[in-house]
Amino acid sequence: MRSVSTTRRLLRWIGNGLLVVLLVWTLVPFYWMVATSLKKDKEIYGFEATLIPRQPTLANYTRLFAATPFVKYLRNSTIIAVGTTVLSLVFGCLGAYALARLRFPGRKLIARGLVFTYLVPPALLFIPLFTVISTLRLVDTHEGLILTYLSFSVPFCTWLLMGYFRSVPLELEEAALVDGCTRLGSLVRVILPMSLPALAVVAFFSFTQSWNEFLYANVFVNSVEVRTITTGLTLFIVEDVFFWGPMMGASFLSALPPLVLYLVFQRWVVKGLTLGAVKG
Amino acid sequence: MSSRAHEAVAGRDRIVPVGGAQVRPGNKLSLTVRGEGRLAYALLAPTLLVILFLVAYPFCAAIYLSLQDKMVGAPGRWAGLANYAELFRDDVFVRTAWNSVVYTVVAVALKFVLGLTMALVLDQQRRFNNFFRTLLFVPWAVPVVIVALNWRWIFDDLSGFLNNFLITTHLSSNIISWLSDPGLAMGCVIAVVVWAGTPFYSMTFLAGLQAIPRELYEAAEIDGASIVQQFFYVTVPRLRTIFLTTVMLSTIWTATNLQFVLVLTRGGPASRTEIFPHLAYTTALGARRLGMGAAVSLVFFPLLAVLILLLTRRMLRQVDE
Repeated sequence: MRSVSTTRRLLRWIGNGLLVVLLVWTLVPFYWMVATSLKKDKEIYGFEATLIPRQPTLANYTRLFAATPFVKYLRNSTIIAVGTTVLSLVFGCLGAYALARLRFPGRKLIARGLVFTYLVPPALLFIPLFTVISTLRLVDTHEGLILTYLSFSVPFCTWLLMGYFRSVPLELEEAALVDGCTRLGSLVRVILPMSLPALAVVAFFSFTQSWNEFLYANVFVNSVEVRTITTGLTLFIVEDVFFWGPMMGASFLSALPPLVLYLVFQRWVVKGLTLGAVKG
Repeated sequence: MSSRAHEAVAGRDRIVPVGGAQVRPGNKLSLTVRGEGRLAYALLAPTLLVILFLVAYPFCAAIYLSLQDKMVGAPGRWAGLANYAELFRDDVFVRTAWNSVVYTVVAVALKFVLGLTMALVLDQQRRFNNFFRTLLFVPWAVPVVIVALNWRWIFDDLSGFLNNFLITTHLSSNIISWLSDPGLAMGCVIAVVVWAGTPFYSMTFLAGLQAIPRELYEAAEIDGASIVQQFFYVTVPRLRTIFLTTVMLSTIWTATNLQFVLVLTRGGPASRTEIFPHLAYTTALGARRLGMGAAVSLVFFPLLAVLILLLTRRMLRQVDE
């Protein structure tokens, strides 16, 4: 027994040591991002480059807002992420309700199709989608991007909500139906109010995925007017010259919305992930 | 695991097992009217349209495109298997195939080991553990492009953090070209992929660890099992399903993510970090050969398809049970 408790103590110390190493590994890149964004060019490049900013300044941030289309990118990202989220939630709720509560031929097949669809990687779809978007004349539009984002967002929302809706006790809905409520009425009045946390989580995932998306945004949009933040960032590279100061500032600011949402929703993030439904 | 995960998702203490079986006619809910099928399809219409037009159609179009010599902005001509034949003859193809395998296998293996370590460390009792967990999971929430850009700056030859740090602390006296050294580039790319992807593993593993009843460990200890034996005979068997699902999902996403390579190395130096999704991207958009690009992206699909089918089965079972 003594040997076990000695091993326990040893394990605790190994664990604490590993924790420190893992924290350093995880946090150093964030430190470097923020530190760079607070430096003057002199401290960023060349012989006088520093590890810790000696004269911290917000100059990179003022430059970002005054001299670059950064705000425009933020606006575009917001429009597209919110648009995708709203549409996916509406489509997802309707579809998930049918799959969770109604009985009809093809139900199993559609459920299977949803998962399959969700797992087909964008790297496979962006080339043909490019021709689809060109044919529909939706290149360089918010609508075009929202449309393509629905391709990963809707299957995923429907799939996750289906799971949630099934866990709402049947008896509650039954009572509403007996009282003369229609199917849609019971979805809106019984199921949705009981699934508010679920809706919030699904909205969070949908928003974050759209906000972070890069491939489609890069292929289907060229104009500055529609560019999202993830693709806009790469424009700070001009002819292989990187403007690291403003770029790290922009990176930090555009990572904030998903980060803050993650902090708010983290309790549920983990639970959603265990369903294997969220990209990692 | 399945029902527990579900329970957790629902955020309730008890779960009412409502599988497909419960929604049968003759059940208590006998309001299965004849219009139910029509209603179901009406409700599913937007979702089905999305699946058909934005996934199923493009997928078939990709196969069709790969059999044409289509360029951007020009009509394509039927080329049969010419694209594939050209691809298989190309030296870059062999190199890319090898790189893709190394990249995926090494990255997934490292993420697994590091993710499991992280989960085991966080499963220990200690003060402020929730705070540490939040910090360690943060990379998961950061957009991949930003991760990649940030690391590119860390690896920068002249002023990046790594060289800066190594020289300031006198650990190295000369500058290391992390991303342009043929021997180092792939390792660096994999390091970034691992940094960004580990939290996904530790999140799922930690959820699995915390779901193992403590009594199992106590019983094992009474039976004289050492800590190592407890790990291999209690922990590992309990996590097996989570291990499998996580690794399969991550393999699909790792193998098909081109953002890391695109931002960090663009496949260089001398194709040392070229992987299929990135090669497809440069072929289709850089060289404007859409047909060839589609062929490149499809070459690795059969392998992924097996994984996708297995996973689909698994995830459906999870919900139906």
